[in-house]
Amino acid sequence: MAKREQARADAAFARGDVGVDGAATEETQDVAEVERGQAREQLLRGRAYLGRELLTWLLWRSETGDALVELEGTGVNVLFMGRITLRGVAGDVTELSAKGTLAPYSEQVKHALDKGLLVAQARIRFTHGEKEYEATLDSEFLDVRAAKLPALMSEEEDDQLNERLFLTEQLSAMIDALVGDFLKIRVGKTWSKQVVPAMKEWMRGDEQGANALSKAARARGRDARAARH
Amino acid sequence: MDSCEITPGGSKDPGPCNFHRPRPEGSTKSALTPWLAPPILPRPMPVLRGAVTFSRFRVEPAKEAPSDIKRWLTRGLKAHAFEPIDRRSEDDRAAGFVELENADAVDFSVGRVFYGEYVLFSFRIDSLKVPASAMKEEMAKWSTNFEAENDRPPSRGEKTQAKAQIKQMLRTRATPRTNVLDVSWNQKTQQLQIWAASRKVVEEIIIALENALGLKLVGLTPAAIAQTSGIDENALGPTAELIGMDLPATSAEVAHGEA
Repeated sequence: MAKREQARADAAFARGDVGVDGAATEETQDVAEVERGQAREQLLRGRAYLGRELLTWLLWRSETGDALVELEGTGVNVLFMGRITLRGVAGDVTELSAKGTLAPYSEQVKHALDKGLLVAQARIRFTHGEKEYEATLDSEFLDVRAAKLPALMSEEEDDQLNERLFLTEQLSAMIDALVGDFLKIRVGKTWSKQVVPAMKEWMRGDEQGANALSKAARARGRDARAARH
Repeated sequence: MDSCEITPGGSKDPGPCNFHRPRPEGSTKSALTPWLAPPILPRPMPVLRGAVTFSRFRVEPAKEAPSDIKRWLTRGLKAHAFEPIDRRSEDDRAAGFVELENADAVDFSVGRVFYGEYVLFSFRIDSLKVPASAMKEEMAKWSTNFEAENDRPPSRGEKTQAKAQIKQMLRTRATPRTNVLDVSWNQKTQQLQIWAASRKVVEEIIIALENALGLKLVGLTPAAIAQTSGIDENALGPTAELIGMDLPATSAEVAHGEA
């Protein structure tokens, strides 16, 4: 062995990179395993899974087209539209993005959700009375991105500023109301017994899904009534 | 000032805003050719128009609420106001608060900060960068001139010295890149919005607000809302059926901002 190679081998041994047999002391980590570890950390950090569960639950509930919560006495309808991003930790796929007006409610997306991916980011339309808002929501921080607000009614610049700020706060309030509703259900008894099974059936596209859905809706009503009293 | 506007998407209106002017005839391809610096443009305030992108926070009530909010706010913002980059220094970045409607103003008079129940101001970040390509071109030009004058290539020391001088010269001519992010704070509802898309920038503004005004901001995430509502943390573990695996809530769960 040349002097230089010998010196390199000695240095590697001194660093502990190789053993006496010259073989590496530590196995290089599997890239896929590293990726999954990162995905897991991302999911747990700051309880980010709660945001993903929220958006997944919202997608499931929004398919009925009914108002999901009330804000200032008016119902709020939610419709997922356009691009949707799913993230997961269980399988080989850690991120999946689907594009298309009806993509969020497609079989492919439901199938991916059934395999353990959850909604991480989505474009959502909120309808509050006659007003329509659109925004991309991310599950981790519930940041609002590229939102479209209803047309401004004011003509004066100062009034427009106030109206625009008011509308962004309305959008924010709708998100908070949905989060509040979700958390009530999430900590309720029905979450694991009825809501999650109903969501799973919906993901699988089972015929029984509709029944499970109405059953879960009734359970939600019961929970809400119990919370009020 | 030219009446050109930058669209929310960032594209520039042609005409007065076109900085890519043709070089003067006969000029060499040198970065030190006296280019006209782009004018400072009126920026669209996202709060008023343009893309609606913001992060949502709740302002935690301070233990010792200031008696004169207007004075306290003005003083806090002034103390952390934006100061331009000193071109003679080594600094290549400057950040601080500016008025909403004028990114060069740091007076923060009551009429320019208080808009009804809202407090509105901006955070300006300037960064100065000498383009590597310009540096390379200028060095090549200097080397050629040196060789022509001295009949020998420059030594390593001479090159290093010239490099520092050229960098300083280019710095004085470079135009800083300015990024202005708005902050809206509803004093009535104590909701605060930072109008920025980058999380890194949002976090920088949170720290600046904490330092300037002593504010404690809580992100409106489901976990934070649950905590505020007094929901038992143990009831909020990951749902195994949805995630596709059993993932117990562990110590790895670190609240945002505490990591």
